[in-house]
Amino acid sequence: MNQNDRVWQRQFLILLLLALLGLTVIICTTIGPAGIGFTDVLTMLLRRIPWLGSLIPRGDWPENYETIVFQMRLARVILAALVGAGLAASGVVLQGLFVNPMADPYILGISQGAALGATAAMMSGIGLQALGIYAVPLIAFGGGLGTSIVVYNLARVGNRVQMSTLLLAGIAVGLFLSAITSYIMITSGQNVHQILFWMIGGFSGRSWNHVKVLLPYFIVGYSLMRLYARKLNIILLGEEPAQHLGIDVERMKKILLVAATLTTASAVSVSGVIAFVGLIVPHAVRLVVGPDHRVLLPASALTGAIFLIVADALARTAAAPEEIPVGIITALCGGPFFIYLLRKKNNPGF
Amino acid sequence: MAVIFKIDNIECSYGAVKVLNGLTFAIERGSFTGIIGPNGSGKSTLLKSLSRVLKPVKGAVLLDKEDLYSLDIRDVAKKVAVVPQETAVNFSFTVKDVVIMGRSPHLGLLQNEGEKDFAVARLAMELTNTYHLADRPITAISGGERQRVIIAKALAQEPRIILLDEPTSHLDINHQIEILSLLRRLNRENNLTIISVFHDLNLASQYCDSLILMNNGSIFTIGEPDEALTMENIKEVYGANVLVRKHPVTGRPSVVLLSQDSQPGLQKGRVHVVCGGGAGAAILGLLAGHGYDISAGVLNAGDVDWETARFLGVKTADETPFLPISERSHQENLKLIGEAEVCILVNIPFGRGNLKNLEALSLALERSIPVLIIEEQEIGERDFTGGKAAQIYNSLIEKGAVVLNDKAALVDMLKDIIPVKSQPSDLQADNQ
Repeated sequence: MNQNDRVWQRQFLILLLLALLGLTVIICTTIGPAGIGFTDVLTMLLRRIPWLGSLIPRGDWPENYETIVFQMRLARVILAALVGAGLAASGVVLQGLFVNPMADPYILGISQGAALGATAAMMSGIGLQALGIYAVPLIAFGGGLGTSIVVYNLARVGNRVQMSTLLLAGIAVGLFLSAITSYIMITSGQNVHQILFWMIGGFSGRSWNHVKVLLPYFIVGYSLMRLYARKLNIILLGEEPAQHLGIDVERMKKILLVAATLTTASAVSVSGVIAFVGLIVPHAVRLVVGPDHRVLLPASALTGAIFLIVADALARTAAAPEEIPVGIITALCGGPFFIYLLRKKNNPGF
Repeated sequence: MAVIFKIDNIECSYGAVKVLNGLTFAIERGSFTGIIGPNGSGKSTLLKSLSRVLKPVKGAVLLDKEDLYSLDIRDVAKKVAVVPQETAVNFSFTVKDVVIMGRSPHLGLLQNEGEKDFAVARLAMELTNTYHLADRPITAISGGERQRVIIAKALAQEPRIILLDEPTSHLDINHQIEILSLLRRLNRENNLTIISVFHDLNLASQYCDSLILMNNGSIFTIGEPDEALTMENIKEVYGANVLVRKHPVTGRPSVVLLSQDSQPGLQKGRVHVVCGGGAGAAILGLLAGHGYDISAGVLNAGDVDWETARFLGVKTADETPFLPISERSHQENLKLIGEAEVCILVNIPFGRGNLKNLEALSLALERSIPVLIIEEQEIGERDFTGGKAAQIYNSLIEKGAVVLNDKAALVDMLKDIIPVKSQPSDLQADNQ
């Protein structure tokens, strides 16, 4: 058993994806009305590295280019990366947890529940008093968690959760919650753009503040998920066999549901409901790396980050100077993909 | 031997439905125990309560003198492994991925498998003869191979006890034997304690040291196979008429199903069959299946009819192999005939050695015991006594013996001759 080869292969893959992510970040930061070149962005970034940075000479770019890159474009790219990583990782975990290859935070209604929580918090202003905007993800988390519990229990008959019932329950509850969100926004006098932002999701006008709001929750949620990656593999054998291997399945389910919902909710709080990332990315990655969650989870998170950065770059440029919400791009990819998965016969899933 | 599992008066229920009702027994280290019983008798539930999945509402399960349900779930998994009836395979893990999962209870939350874990997994695969499959996807191997892989995963846990729930019921007979032989080898050579639910009574009998026979959520009896698997017990628990005989090769009890066209539990009268050499085996089986009390004679010990009679529990008048019928065995035969309500003569050849059987039937007719003759071949063709046998044979017919040309007519004929007389059995009384 050349297990050392396998470990090495895994690490190589993760490093490769990290490098690809770095490249994507730089390339997508160059995209925009002001024509800032690749080497300029690279140099600007390298100059920000402590100690080492001071050794690199400044290029001859206009003064305001650094502001554009750091204050506007980079914040947005990093935010897209974190949201993409969070949604993809949540998708991986939900698919493993429900032993259902079609699960995803959007399809299960968790994103919509979180969006309702976030809008309610912002409209009523509850969240903003004590903890400032950092509380919004927490209330969104409450909405998302409530939704996942309701959907799971709707789909459960006795001890069995039917795949199709779970999907239908998720879609129905998601639509219901979206309607409430729309209603709250319309009655509170928000404009159509704001409402669209929450419904379809996007990064228009996002800044470092949003990254700061998201980051702590992302770290906690992702770490919890990564902690249980090995045990998630075993859950795929079934719940009872997992118990026989010494896993407290009920506890693990609760922890992972909380972790996936927290990650999703924090992403939704800053970017609205971006659909299907948690479905497309894990599937594509699984085809390449196989079902082991110890690779699948980090690889999906990195791929999700890359995917959403690229999708957002498209959203910014496709109809320039108008900007379209990135959620439209992901839904355009995700819808047909979902149907393809549904139609695929003898779907081995994992 | 030391007790490894002690089950003390446990009661289990699913919601309001009580499934196990006050079970108490002990499992010894290194034993191979089978749990048998009809569907719904609580076998699988008992296994669940032993595997720390279903906590009994009352009573205690002690693993090495410690309460199973207060032990940490991981510590239990280091001692007890479970092999289910079937394992879902909707994922593309390789065989070695699945086997190494058995190391999970030995690993911490963030710990990955190390050299030792791979060594243990490899040994487990070698023991179960699955090492050559290591890199194949679990979805691409046969059912028998998959079950061996699941057993390898169980072995990778380095358990002291393996619990199995009908591990071979979905498999072909060759795979059944392969897997049970593997388990017995592990039991004997590695001192692994094995507790398995069985559907097939003969497999249970052949492989287990002791059997727990369950009925309606309680233990009906516990004992070695020949104590637990008796005709009476099976009839009482399963409500089935079967024959239990010693397996000629293993010496273990062997359960044979009989065709049960007749109403179960009705005692029918005695039928005496004159046969020999194998010509009577089918008739003996037919009569036994219809619930008749049977005797047969005179038979040479060891011939096929004699073996069949032994197997079916038929009383016989015996003669030493290859010797002609002696006066002693002839008298025994006459005694059996005297107790019978009807005699049947099977299509057998006659030589000097068994001529006395024909004379015995002649005496039966004189005592007005009816004789049925099954004639598939003219007597002339099977008379090797120079006409003597044919002479007696024809005189039987003259004296009123009825000749049938077909075995199939026999059962109907018997119904007319022997009316059903005794009462319905306990079983039917229970059902009313």
